Amino acid sequence: MKEELIISGRMNPGIDPYLSIWHWEIPLYLFLGGLAAGLLFFASLYTILGKEKQMQATVKWGPFLASIALVIGLFALFLDLKHKMYFWRLYTTVRLESPMSWGAWTLMVITPLSMIWSASYIKEIIPKWDWKFEFLNKAEAWVIKYRLGFAWVMIVYAVVLGIYTGILLSAFNARPLWNTSILGPLFLVSGMSTGVAAILLMSRDHSERKLLSKVDLLLIGIELFFIVHMFMGFLASSEVQIQAAELFLGGEFTVSFWVFVIFLGLIFPAVLEILELRGYKIPVVIPAILILFGGLLFRFIMVEAGQLTRYLY
Amino acid sequence: MDSKKLMDIDKQYINPYFGGVLLGLLLLATFYISGRGLGATGAVKSTIVTTVDKIAPKHAEGSNYYSRFLTDDKHPMNNWLSFETLGILAGAFLSGAIGGRLKLKVEHSPRIRSRTRLIAALAGGILFGLGSQFGRGCTSGAALSGSGSMALGGFIAMAAIFGSGYMFAWFFRKLWI
Repeated sequence: MKEELIISGRMNPGIDPYLSIWHWEIPLYLFLGGLAAGLLFFASLYTILGKEKQMQATVKWGPFLASIALVIGLFALFLDLKHKMYFWRLYTTVRLESPMSWGAWTLMVITPLSMIWSASYIKEIIPKWDWKFEFLNKAEAWVIKYRLGFAWVMIVYAVVLGIYTGILLSAFNARPLWNTSILGPLFLVSGMSTGVAAILLMSRDHSERKLLSKVDLLLIGIELFFIVHMFMGFLASSEVQIQAAELFLGGEFTVSFWVFVIFLGLIFPAVLEILELRGYKIPVVIPAILILFGGLLFRFIMVEAGQLTRYLY
Repeated sequence: MDSKKLMDIDKQYINPYFGGVLLGLLLLATFYISGRGLGATGAVKSTIVTTVDKIAPKHAEGSNYYSRFLTDDKHPMNNWLSFETLGILAGAFLSGAIGGRLKLKVEHSPRIRSRTRLIAALAGGILFGLGSQFGRGCTSGAALSGSGSMALGGFIAMAAIFGSGYMFAWFFRKLWI
């Protein structure tokens, strides 16, 4: 038998002088995971609040998109794996201290849940839909009967999913840019905002869009607040954190972050949403796409920049 | 055009003289903030330089024109004009939203078709692109910013652009009236 010793350290490829192991797959997944978390959160929330009738796109059509986003996101994660055929090993263990274990199990619950949720609404999209088998009809009736229970489970897992997309990064204690606990709530809020933007694109109901625009403005406000606090935290911290922040304050990510993420991805769409709420005619697709693009770019920048930051020189 | 439509237009746009003063103040602010003037064609040029450099890097390096904008330490898009142009898009969109002008349409004389107008616009755009590179700047970059910094070339460009515009307008009036 050939013995193999696995040692993780700086001599491994892709570790030194800076990390370069995560490419497009991880930020894409973080974006799609956050998007799905946002979509499912609001679908559950408005079900719990008993507003299915007023919030059709949020409750019924959002979860369809969430299922697709989760499947594509999971495929991206799969592509990132070095030993692809061993992905199932994540499901042979539960490790409370590992964010990846949390994430794997959360996805195991929320992906089927979003599909079941969508399936229970499929007859409203395709009225002639036929489940073919009687037990599927019974299952559908059961889901519809206990929808409120499903909503409660889904809302909890949606929040866990949204936070986990940030915690996945912040658990890397060797990367100063990621090693901040504000990343969890920040990614959750950003994911919720992209989720709302996606629903805005789907909704045909004026009053639903109006409510969602208000929710989105609130989320954008919170997100900006978190981002400011993230930088304040870095700047008040040790030298490596200050250097991490400087990548965004004069360093190579300054323009892409402040122009595309903060201005075109948050502030400008917020201004457009305010104008729309005040009665100006604005095609909703513009702010919605800007928010989605800003959210995607935000994750690409955070993953890319985080890999450049380090403690040891 | 009847008077009601004219009134609508009055409501949609600000007074042109007031707009001109605002533009002058904007130019002043631009000099103060960025240390250089406004420009409109610069971002298009940067985009073309970047595209040529991506598709045919050898050609871009060898070309007398493209190579001037390609340096190792700075991306050609990393240029104040690229970001100014993004701002123009955002600001123009806001202005259209506030004025209630956000609609996809082709403005032209009722006597010609949209297609004629679009072809004329493309031809005019090509000529303007050529001219702006020969003249080292367009209406904004050479005429406005140039005369704002009291450059003689700026005043000549301003006189030439608007003078020739005035002269040629007669020949192309059918595109508009």
